[in-house]
Amino acid sequence: MKYRFLLKKGIAVLIAGLLKEFKVYGPVKKDGFPMYGNITAPGDLNLLHSPTHISPKQHLFPQRETLLRFSSGEYPAVEPVVEAEEQALFGVHPCDIHAIKLLDRVFAYGTADVNYLKRREKTIIIGSNCIPDKYCFCKGVNTMTVESGFDLFLHNIGTGFLVESGTQKGKKLLLKYTKTRKANKGEVKKLSQIQNQKKEMFVASINADASTLPLIYSGSYNSPVWERIGSICYGCGSCNLVCPTCYCFDVRDDIKLNLKEGERYRVWDGCMLEDFAKVAGGHNFRKTRGERLRHRFNRKFQYQVDKFGGLFCVGCGRCSRTCLVNINIAEVTNELIEESNKRP
Amino acid sequence: MNLSKSQTNVLDISSPYISRLARIERVARVTEKERLFNLSIEDGKTLGHLPGQFIMLSIPGFGEAPISISSPPDKGNRFEICVRAAGNLTNALHNLTKGDRLWIRGPYGKGFPVQDIVGKDLLFIAGGIGLVPMRSLIKTVLHERSSYGRMNLFYGVKSPDEILFKDELLQWGKAGNINIQITTDKPHPEWKGHTGVVTTLLPPLKIDETKTAAIVVGPPVMYKYVILSLGDKRIAGHDIYLSLERRMKCGLGKCGHCQINSIYVCQEGPVFRLSDIRYLREAI
Repeated sequence: MKYRFLLKKGIAVLIAGLLKEFKVYGPVKKDGFPMYGNITAPGDLNLLHSPTHISPKQHLFPQRETLLRFSSGEYPAVEPVVEAEEQALFGVHPCDIHAIKLLDRVFAYGTADVNYLKRREKTIIIGSNCIPDKYCFCKGVNTMTVESGFDLFLHNIGTGFLVESGTQKGKKLLLKYTKTRKANKGEVKKLSQIQNQKKEMFVASINADASTLPLIYSGSYNSPVWERIGSICYGCGSCNLVCPTCYCFDVRDDIKLNLKEGERYRVWDGCMLEDFAKVAGGHNFRKTRGERLRHRFNRKFQYQVDKFGGLFCVGCGRCSRTCLVNINIAEVTNELIEESNKRP
Repeated sequence: MNLSKSQTNVLDISSPYISRLARIERVARVTEKERLFNLSIEDGKTLGHLPGQFIMLSIPGFGEAPISISSPPDKGNRFEICVRAAGNLTNALHNLTKGDRLWIRGPYGKGFPVQDIVGKDLLFIAGGIGLVPMRSLIKTVLHERSSYGRMNLFYGVKSPDEILFKDELLQWGKAGNINIQITTDKPHPEWKGHTGVVTTLLPPLKIDETKTAAIVVGPPVMYKYVILSLGDKRIAGHDIYLSLERRMKCGLGKCGHCQINSIYVCQEGPVFRLSDIRYLREAI
C-alpha cells in the first residue's frame, strides 16, 4: 500500500518538525490573497485548495538573485555567489510540481546553472491536492495528477490525509516527525472518489488532445488571433511574472556608493515587455504586443516542447487569472484549435 | 569585501558567470563610432575561439554584453574586438585605455564552419559593423589563401565615413587577391564609388553556384534582401552562412533573450546555414 494515513492535526506536527531542519515555505493568505510565503510556525500555513497568485518557482529561481560579487579597480576581483539553504516547499499543487520538473530540465540543459541546481538539491517538496477554480485547466494538459517530483504528497480526504512518499528522503521525514498508519481500503477508495469528482469540477478546458497542441500552435502562426489579443494586451508582463515555467531573466550590475564594490545579479525578465528582444542597434525582433504574445504562447505549447519535451503550460491558469484585460490562455488555445479544425 | 587577485581562481566553484581578466593592450580608432581593442588574457591562456564566435564582455558596474571576436584564431592569449559605442557598457568601454582591465567569458556559440568551405569560391557580403565578425573569418581564410578559390567581398555602408578597416581592406584586396567592392546607401559628395544598398552590387557578378559559399553578416534588415539576391544566383541554402544578431544576457542558453522560435542563438548560432533556419519563421 503506497499510502499512509495522517490525522489532520498531524500536519502541524509535521511542519513543526520540518521547521527544525528547513526554512519552510507554503501557502498563506496575505491581505486576503493566496500567496506562497514564509512559514515560521505551524499556524501560518493555510493549505489552500486554489492556486497561489505567484508560483513557488520564486523559491528555486528567486526574482532577484546575486550571481557574483566583485570589486573594481586596477585588478577587478570576483567571487561567485551561490546562495542555497535547506528548504521545504509545502503544499505544492500538482501543476507546480510539473512546472518544477520542467525547470529542472531547463537549468540542467547545456551549461548547468549552479545557482538553480544547488538550490534545487537542498529543497524538499511536499505536494498537496487542490480543487480547480474557473481558470484551472490542468486536466487538459495532463498535469492534474503527478507521479514523481515530490518528496511527500498529501491527499486531503476530509477525515485526514493520505500521504504518498516520492523519495526515501520524504519517507524518512514522515517517519521522523509524524505518526501515520497504513491507509485502509475505504480511505483509498475515498481518494479515488475525490479524484474522479475533481475531474468533473473544471470550468475551463482544452478542446483537443494535449499531444496535438504543438502542431496546432505551429499551424496557427498566421492566425488573426495574435493581432486581436495583441491589440488589447498592455504588454505589462504580469503573465510572465506569475507563470511557473517562465524563466527568462536579465543580468545586471549594482555598484555600491564607494564605487569599488558591487554585485552582478539576475532578475526575472519577461518576453511580453517591449525591449525584451531589442538589440543595441535599435532593432526590435518582436516589436508588437501580438508578436510577443505569440512568442510567449508558443514557448508554452511549441518551442520549449521541441527543445525540452513536455508542454510548458501546466494549466495553472495564473496568467489568465492575473491578466488585466482577461486574455485567457485556455480560451485562446481553444480558438486556435477551432481554427485549426476548420483548416482544410 | 577584500578580494585579492589570487582569490579569483580559488573561489571559483564553477559558476558559469565567472569571467577571466583581460588587459587592454592597444586601442585604435576605426571610425568616429568604433574602436578596435587589442586584449590580452591575464591568465596567459588562449581564448581558443573560432571565427564567428563571441564573448560576453563586462566592466564591473556597467554590466555585460555579447561582443563578437574580430581577430582570427590565435594560439596566444591575444585577441581583438571592434566595438561601436551604442549603450552603457560600450560607452564605458570606449573610455578605457591601454592598461585597463575588463572581464571576458567565452568564447560562446557556433562559429563559421571553416573546414566546410575549404576549396570553395567565397562570396562575403557585409553590411555596416557586420564586417567586424567577418574580419575574423576573412583573416583566417587569407592565412591559407591557396586553399580557396575566387573571393569577392561586397561591403555596404551607410556613408563613406563608416567604412571599417580601410587599410586592411586595401591589403586584403591586393595581397589577398579579393575582389572588394564597397557601396554607400546614399550618394555622398566625397564618395566616387558605387551607391546603393549592398544587393545592387550582386547582379553583374558571375559565379559558379556549384562551388560558391556565401557568408553574410549585417544588420537585421539586410538578410531578407541578400538571401533573395543569392537565390537569384542559384546558391543553395546549405552554402549560405549567416550570423544572426540577437539580444543576449547569459550566453548559456538560459536567459531567453536570443530565442528564435525553438532555438537559442547563443547555443545553436550565431552562425547558421540558411538551410538550417529556413523553417524558423522569426529568423530572418
